Amino acid sequence: MKRSLRWALILAVLGGLLTTLAFVGAFTYARVQTFSTTVNVPNAVARKAVKAGFPAGDAATQMAAPPGTVAVHKPWFSQKIFFFHVPIAVASLVVMTIAAIFSLLFLIKRKKSYDTRAKVAMEATLVFIIGTMISGDLWTRASWGVWWEWEPRLTTYAILTLLVIAYFVLRNSVEDEERRATYGAVFALFAWVDVPITFMITRMMPSQHPALTGLETSNLIPFMIGMAGMSMLGFAIYELRFNEEHLRERLAALKEDLEG
Amino acid sequence: MLDATNKLLYGLVLRDAPFVIAAYAVLWLALAGYVTVTLRRLIKLDKEVKLLEDAVKARTKAE
Repeated sequence: MKRSLRWALILAVLGGLLTTLAFVGAFTYARVQTFSTTVNVPNAVARKAVKAGFPAGDAATQMAAPPGTVAVHKPWFSQKIFFFHVPIAVASLVVMTIAAIFSLLFLIKRKKSYDTRAKVAMEATLVFIIGTMISGDLWTRASWGVWWEWEPRLTTYAILTLLVIAYFVLRNSVEDEERRATYGAVFALFAWVDVPITFMITRMMPSQHPALTGLETSNLIPFMIGMAGMSMLGFAIYELRFNEEHLRERLAALKEDLEG
Repeated sequence: MLDATNKLLYGLVLRDAPFVIAAYAVLWLALAGYVTVTLRRLIKLDKEVKLLEDAVKARTKAE
């Protein structure tokens, strides 16, 4: 077995273990976050809620609470999706950056292996993008009550998704191998421009999408474990697919050798 | 049966539960499925490459 393949398998197992650990930590170790909105609940419920760790609502809401009820911050259970959604989203942006780097290297050095690496990285990006979209959509529905919102982060990420799909459509529409690789590399670089825009958009303009700032320790630890696990999975998928492509090319060469 | 207090308290949390479960389940299944399918294809290709390499070697020897 090739060394890189062995590493890919080790990383796939480790990534699986770490993301599982993050999942367990998200529901056991991480404190349930609360929404800034408050709900009025009967006194008895409020006592239990506060005991369970839900903070009481602010003073103004307490004053306005109907008799016999107390305002508590609403628990934000759907925030638990964060521990998978953000690592997979970050992994998609990182893997796409790797695809852009290999595309640039291909344009400079014209080596076929760089094109293969870029294509494989783009494929891993697509897998992670689909994962991000599905988990994000479910979180959007649970948190905002709608399946989709045309707000800056969601819109720029949707554009990124379409660009990655377009990359494969473009590649499949060009017959000549050299031209396909060149067009693909140029398009990958063009598509990558959306990566920093998507990442920075929530910091540059008003957005409903939460920006990642100041996590409390109980949330930070499972999140970091999830990030490490997802990065390992990302690298493992990339390496596995690259090895597969390499074997395919070797197989084609051997067939040609036998036939010729 | 849950008492009224617990029902309300759990209600605050569990409204989101189906979405959380779906998000984790879909992602896990998709990633595990993708890695498994890729691995199976890799093993199959590896076998084919070894077979052809042997065939090329045998032919070279015969020549």
